[in-house]
Amino acid sequence: MTPTATAATEATRTPLIPPSTHRYSEVIHRLEAGGSMLPDTPENLKQIIGIYKAYAVPMDFYWRDLLYIAERVFLNPLPAFKYFISQEYLDLPNSYAGDQSKLRIWRGGEKAHPELLEFMARGETGNMPKLLHHLWHDRVNMEFAEACMQAMLWHQGMGGRFNDYLESDAYKANADRAIKAYFKGNPLMLGLYKLFPEMFLEQVRQLSYTANLGLFWEVMAPVFFEMSDIYDEGGFKGVPDAMDFLVNGIFAVAGRPIYHHVYIGGECYEIIPKSEGFTWLYEAALPYVEAVFYRTSPFRGTKSYNAQADQVPSDQADFHYGILYADVYPVGSAGIPPTLLMQDMLHFLPPYLKETYKEHRRGEEDELIQLGITFQRSMYNVTSAVIQALRCALLYPLDDTDPEHLMANRRFFEAQLDRFLRPEARLSDIQSQDYR
Amino acid sequence: MTLLLLLLIPVVAAVLLPLLSGEANRVRAAALAAALAQVAVGLWLWQHPPVELSLRWLPQLGLQLDLGLDGLSLPLVLMAALLTAMAILATPADQNRPRLFFALLLATNVGLVGSFVARNALLFVLAYELILIPTTLLVAIWGGPRRSTAAIRFLLYGAISGIALLAAVMAFGWLQGGGLDFSFAALAHHSLTPTQQRWILALVLLAFGLKLPVVPLHGWQPLTYSQAPTPVAMMLAGAVSKLGAYGLLRFGVAFLPDAWSAWSGWIAAVGAISAMYGALNAVAQLDMRRLVAYSSLGHMGFLLLALAAATPLSLQGVMAQMLAHGLIIALLFCLVGLIEIKTGSSEIPELSGLLNAQRGLPFTMGLMLLALMAAAGVPGQAGFVAELLVFEGSWVAYPWPTLVCLVSSGLTAVYAVRLFNRVGFGRLDNARANWASTSWTERAPALVLTALVVLGGLWPSALTGFSETDTAPLALRSSDAVTVIATSTPQELNA
Repeated sequence: MTPTATAATEATRTPLIPPSTHRYSEVIHRLEAGGSMLPDTPENLKQIIGIYKAYAVPMDFYWRDLLYIAERVFLNPLPAFKYFISQEYLDLPNSYAGDQSKLRIWRGGEKAHPELLEFMARGETGNMPKLLHHLWHDRVNMEFAEACMQAMLWHQGMGGRFNDYLESDAYKANADRAIKAYFKGNPLMLGLYKLFPEMFLEQVRQLSYTANLGLFWEVMAPVFFEMSDIYDEGGFKGVPDAMDFLVNGIFAVAGRPIYHHVYIGGECYEIIPKSEGFTWLYEAALPYVEAVFYRTSPFRGTKSYNAQADQVPSDQADFHYGILYADVYPVGSAGIPPTLLMQDMLHFLPPYLKETYKEHRRGEEDELIQLGITFQRSMYNVTSAVIQALRCALLYPLDDTDPEHLMANRRFFEAQLDRFLRPEARLSDIQSQDYR
Repeated sequence: MTLLLLLLIPVVAAVLLPLLSGEANRVRAAALAAALAQVAVGLWLWQHPPVELSLRWLPQLGLQLDLGLDGLSLPLVLMAALLTAMAILATPADQNRPRLFFALLLATNVGLVGSFVARNALLFVLAYELILIPTTLLVAIWGGPRRSTAAIRFLLYGAISGIALLAAVMAFGWLQGGGLDFSFAALAHHSLTPTQQRWILALVLLAFGLKLPVVPLHGWQPLTYSQAPTPVAMMLAGAVSKLGAYGLLRFGVAFLPDAWSAWSGWIAAVGAISAMYGALNAVAQLDMRRLVAYSSLGHMGFLLLALAAATPLSLQGVMAQMLAHGLIIALLFCLVGLIEIKTGSSEIPELSGLLNAQRGLPFTMGLMLLALMAAAGVPGQAGFVAELLVFEGSWVAYPWPTLVCLVSSGLTAVYAVRLFNRVGFGRLDNARANWASTSWTERAPALVLTALVVLGGLWPSALTGFSETDTAPLALRSSDAVTVIATSTPQELNA
C-alpha cells in the first residue's frame, strides 16, 4: 500500500478534525484521504492514462524542438524553419529514458518516439515533402508549445528566482556574449543590437523560457510514457495510484537543473549555467502549472474578452483562461488554444480510448471534443499531484495525528480549491462521468 | 386529360395510403412517389401548353369541371407539388400515425392544386374549403402543446374566410346577369355596378386577407404556424398562404379592377402596416417558430402592396414573391423544425453555439444563414429578385407605403442577424448538446429548397418567366412613369 493510501485509511478511521464546509468539501475530503480532484473511477483512470500517452508523443516533439529553437535557431531573424527540427535533435537522448540516462523514468528508448517519427514521415495525408506537410498543418503543432512558453514569459513572477535572474547583470553579460558571437561578421545586426540592446535581450529572455519549457517537458514525456506502460501492464489500480506516480516523479526530478545553453560555431555559450542552481520543480514545473493550467491569456482561442467591459481581471494573477477553466469547444473557447493540442493528440490516441469515444456522443465525429474533455480531466489530476507535492513539501503528512497540522493541511487544500469557485472552473463538471 | 392527373394522383394516394400495410418508411416512400409524380406531370404540362379541360358536372348549379393552367397558376401548382414532396421528406422518421398524416398532407395538396387549376369560381371555392379540413386535423392531432387552441382558431378564421369567399362568388354569379355561370371567363366580363363591385371586393378582401394573412386579420397565424408540425407549417406558410395572394390577383385585380383601383390606396396602406407590424414583432420574438411566422406576415405585406400598385412590374413582383417566399419560408420552417427535433427547443434564449463544428448543427446553421439572407433580400438569392420587383413596381404608385415596406425589409436583416447570432454563436451548452448530427435524409428537403432559392437568385427569369405574359394584361397602372422619370430631361418633365 502506498503512503497516501495508508494515510487515507487512517484518516477514515479517526476523524480528528470536523468535516469541511467548503463548497468542494467532497473534493477536499478526497484530497485529505490522499486522492485526486478527479473522482476515482475505472473510466477516469482509463481516460487520463490514455490521454497521457496521446499527449506524450507530441510532447516528445515539443521538448526537442523547443531546445532546438533555444539552443540552435536562437536569434535567427527569419526563423521560418524553426519547426523543421534537425536529425541531431530528433536523436537527442532524453535524460530520463534509455540506458544512458542517469535518472531513468521510462523504460523505453531515449530517441524520438517511433510513433512520432512515423507521423512526421506520413502525417494524415501521406508521403509528401516536409514543406507541404508543414503548410498543410499536417504536422505537430508547435504553435501550442510556443503559446505555453509565451504564457510563462508573459505572466512572470510566479515564484522561484528564474525570472529575477533574467534581469541580472550576470545574465545580461552572458546574453551579450552569445548575441555578439551569433551575429559575428553581421554588421547590420550588430548595429541594430547597439541601437536597441533591450530588444535583443528580450528575445534572449524569451528563448530562455523556451529552454525552460523544453527541459520541463523533457521530464514529462517519459513520465507519461511510463505511466501508459504501467497501465498497459495492469499496474495502476485507480486514479490515486496514477497521481501518486506523478507525486513521486515530481520529487524524484524536483532538483534537476534548468539552464539555457546556446551552441554557436561549435562552441557552447552558457546563458543560464547549471551552476546557478535553478531546479525543475521551482523554476519550471510550478510556474508552468500556474501560467498554463490556471492563467494563460484571454486573447487565445476563438473568443476574446472585452477588457473595457471588465470581462478581463485587472490583476494578471486572477486570470483564469487555462485548461482547468477552458471551454474546450472550438466555438466560444479561450485559454491556450486547445484545438491545436487536441489535434496533435488525436493522432496518437490509444485504441482503447478511441473505442470509448465511439461509444459516446457522436462517436468519431466529435472525438476531438471528447479528448479535449479527457485532457481537462487529466490535467486536474496533474494539478492534484502538484497540490499534493506542495502539501508534502511545505506542510504535514496526511496521516499526521496532530489536529493543528491537519487543519493547516485543510486550510491549504481549501485555499487551492478556492481558485475553482469561479463559474468558469470545470472542477464541478469533471466530478460527473457524463461530462464528455 | 393529363391535367386531371394533377388532381387524381394525390387523390388516389390519399385514399390508398391508409390502406397500405408495412413500415412507416414504405408509407412515406409511397406518399413521396405520389408528390414527385405530380411534380413530373406539372413539368410535362409546362412543356405542352395550352392546358385546359372542361367537363360537365352540375350545370344547374353553374358548377363545371373547368380546369386550366396559365402563367399564374402553373408555377404555383409546381411549387405546391414540390413543397408537398419536401414536407413529406421533412416528416420525422418516427412520425406517429404516418398513414393518416401523409394522407392528410396529400389531401391538402389536392385542395391547393385544385384551387390553382380551377377555372370555375365555385370549383375554386370547393377546393379552397377542402384545404381547411385536413390542415385543421394536421394541426389538431400532431401539433405542439397548444394545438387545440391553434386548431380551433385556425378553423374559425378559415371558416370565416371560406364563408366570405362563398358569399362573394355567389353574389358574383347572381349579380353579373348571365345566369348561374361561375366560369372565370364569364366573371371576367361581368357587368356589375361600381357599388356591387365594392361589396364583392370587400368580401374578397376579407376572404383572402384572412388566408394570406394581413393585419388585422392575422390572429390565427403566429399561433398556428408555431404549433403546427414542421411539414404542415411548411405547407401552410409556403403554399396555402399563397392562395390568398393568388385569390386577390384572380378575383380582385382581374375580375374587379374598378373597385380594386378605387380601394388600392387603402390596400397598399394595409400592406405597409402588415409589413412593419410583422417585422417589428419578429424582432421581438424569443421563439424561432414565432419569429419565422411574423417574418412571413411581414412579407405578405409586400405582396399586398404590389397587388395594390398593380403595375406590370409589381404584378411580376407578386408572382416572383409568391414563389420566392414560398420556398424561403418553407426552408426556414424546415430548418427550425430540424433544430427543434435535435435540440428539443426552438426558444432562442435556450440555444447557442449551434455553429459548433463538432457538437452543433453546423450544416443546418449554414443553410439557415442562407435562408435568412434570402429572406432579408440579399442579392444572389430569390428573395432579392422578388423584393426588387415588388418595390420598384410599387414605388411609382405608392411611394410612402413602399418606403415603409423597404424599412421593414431592412428590419428583416435585424431579426435575421439577431437570430443567427444568438443561436449560432456563443457557447454550446455541453449538458444539452447530446444530440446526433443531422443525416443526409434529414438534410435533403432543406438542401433542395436551398438550391432552388439560390437558383431563383442567379436565374431571375425562373421566377418571372412563367407569368410575364399573363400578369401584363392584368395591370391596372402603367410603370411608364418610372421610365419617363428615369430617361427624360427636366425640360421634358416640365412640359
